[in-house]
Amino acid sequence: MLAPGDIRNCASDSDHSTGSLIRKSSKMIKGKLKRSSQQQECGLLSNVFDVSLQDMMADSNHRSFSSQGELAGKENKEREIGEEMSSSAVEAEAPDLVCQLDNVQGMVDALSAVRWKRHQDAVVELSEHGVVLIVEDTGCLQAKVYLQRELFVRYDYHAEGRPRFGVSLGLFVDCLNSFSAPGRSSMIEIQYPGPDMQLLIKSVDSLDACIYAEIRTRIPDTISWDYNFEPAGSTPLTFTVKTPLLSSIKKMILHGWNVHFCFKILLGSSIQINLQPDPPCITFKGEGHGDLQIDFTYYVNTDLVIAFHCDCQVSYRYKYKFLRATTSNLPSSVIKDNRGSKLTMGRGGMLKVQHLVSVARSATSHPHIDSAGHQQPSRIAYIEFFVKSEVDE
Amino acid sequence: MKFKAFLTEHGVNLFERRFLPALDKMGKICHLFLTRDHAIFLHNLLNGDGVQCIAQFRKEALFDDYRISSQNEDRIAFAIDVSLLLRAVRSSVSICTEFGNGPSANRLQIKLVKKLPLNCTQPMPFLTFETKGYKSAVIQDVPISKPLSRAQVLELQTALELAQDIPQTLVQVPDLNQLQNFVERMKQVGDLLNVSISKYGDLHVQISTTLITLGAEFRKLLVIGEQAEAPSDDRNQSAQTRSERAISRGDAQRVQVSVKHFSRSLHCHLAKPDCTFYGIAPHGSCLTVIFQFFIPGTHQTDKSISLHCRLPVLDPGSS
Repeated sequence: MLAPGDIRNCASDSDHSTGSLIRKSSKMIKGKLKRSSQQQECGLLSNVFDVSLQDMMADSNHRSFSSQGELAGKENKEREIGEEMSSSAVEAEAPDLVCQLDNVQGMVDALSAVRWKRHQDAVVELSEHGVVLIVEDTGCLQAKVYLQRELFVRYDYHAEGRPRFGVSLGLFVDCLNSFSAPGRSSMIEIQYPGPDMQLLIKSVDSLDACIYAEIRTRIPDTISWDYNFEPAGSTPLTFTVKTPLLSSIKKMILHGWNVHFCFKILLGSSIQINLQPDPPCITFKGEGHGDLQIDFTYYVNTDLVIAFHCDCQVSYRYKYKFLRATTSNLPSSVIKDNRGSKLTMGRGGMLKVQHLVSVARSATSHPHIDSAGHQQPSRIAYIEFFVKSEVDE
Repeated sequence: MKFKAFLTEHGVNLFERRFLPALDKMGKICHLFLTRDHAIFLHNLLNGDGVQCIAQFRKEALFDDYRISSQNEDRIAFAIDVSLLLRAVRSSVSICTEFGNGPSANRLQIKLVKKLPLNCTQPMPFLTFETKGYKSAVIQDVPISKPLSRAQVLELQTALELAQDIPQTLVQVPDLNQLQNFVERMKQVGDLLNVSISKYGDLHVQISTTLITLGAEFRKLLVIGEQAEAPSDDRNQSAQTRSERAISRGDAQRVQVSVKHFSRSLHCHLAKPDCTFYGIAPHGSCLTVIFQFFIPGTHQTDKSISLHCRLPVLDPGSS
């Protein structure tokens, strides 16, 4: 395997020699896998996705828990309870949200998954259903982390509407990370807003040792580009891979191929993703200085593709760096958990990548969780990425 | 100028497993100051804006057959690379355990020599480790600086004496690992750490920047020295309010130190101290960390070993 230095040397060689190296690697790699029936039952993982995501995102056009109607009854009930409670307290002073979480590390993992560069501004939206954190990059990539209220041990929501605030994602994650101690589950309380519109976090599990933080928030920018995701047709174009996309690609690249070198070719370039129904196949095609094609045939026995739905051939190109951002920041603990990732292509080639991240307290405290990680969906944070396809010039 | 001694088994253990790994984290180069009765490792005492770290051993804690002589009242001091020293000790230990027949069969001799290294015209000073195995002897030469001059030794001695002042109030940190873990993560958020210590037994560390305030408060810690009863109305206050009030009452002091220094001082837990105390030196001149070692199997202080750090204060604060 080439060391990073070697790759650099290769790349800085004369055009001629680089070209020949790339030509070597531009042989098409074809998956030899075949499958018997396209309409095989989806794997368990995709079921988890489908069921729980339906819960979460009943309305695909309004990601931010905005399906108001169906939950109006519940809301009223909550408001009544809230009013009862606040009548005894000083009503005006109740913060929009006070919530408690018993697994900080899970939240750190979930938020780290959408941290693809050092300085990122995030918008946090609070609602009675949970907390959504949104990050965005150059109008082409958006990521959302959904932390449902069920993830929290306590979730007291008192706001009218949906309060939003901006916060530095890096600072927020680093700060939360300070609350998490290895080998110890720590309970924290998050409150918004503080007296100066800060986000307040404090540890609440010990009387004599307390960690606290105040993070300055800002008024959020309106998100410049609306990432409306609409299904491309009547049947969704979707496939579920067991490991995050790029690791799958890496696995698919046959042994002996230098993965790093292959991706070096692709860096700065774009990847075309092609779905075709017959034979059911996903093709990744990278065109940079050289080209690289990986055919990924859906086959029921393969561990890589768990589910595949496609009724017409589609093909779109995406910037490699954005595709990489959708998977490469998942903490290794999450990848080990192996919950899979679901990719869906929408109208106009908008790619939706969904991951599940466990925010369970710990495996030992939930003995009913089996080794495959199938646990109650309420202990899972949902992460969605939307990648806009490249427009042909 | 002569120095020769045998490291005892206990001394080897102290060096190899505990002190040298800790001192190595404090900085690559330190001064080794040898006197008739003590061997003292000193970091940043002469040149320093870094963390001062002083590890002092009575000769009996490390050596037997300890012989030292110099024209400067039998005092010798030189600079040495701690990581090389650690490597030499480690490899000597592995030779001993590989070929030895019990501790008495092979002893680790340490002495000061001058040798002419290859490709050099001038002889150079070394601290030499000599291990006699079953059939062979292994000699390791650790390069050291030229021994310090009489004036420099005096300077070192003065600095050492100045570094002995003990804070009026010391609080004991029960779980150094927890504090270290927290500070390591805190380092990502900012560079300057406010540390306040009160007579009530509160230790409060805080990083505050324009965007974030992140802090931890440890309360009801054991206090040594001046102490006071915590006012009862403070109980429901925030950590910040509590320490502000304590400072205004004169019951607490606050200093600002570098997070990196603070975290480095916590690496001393590699020396496996039995107790750790934090205190602020009079007039807020520095933040002092004192590590206490017990005689094994007892709760009595082992007076033959002492280790403490002094963290330079970046801002006099409100003290």
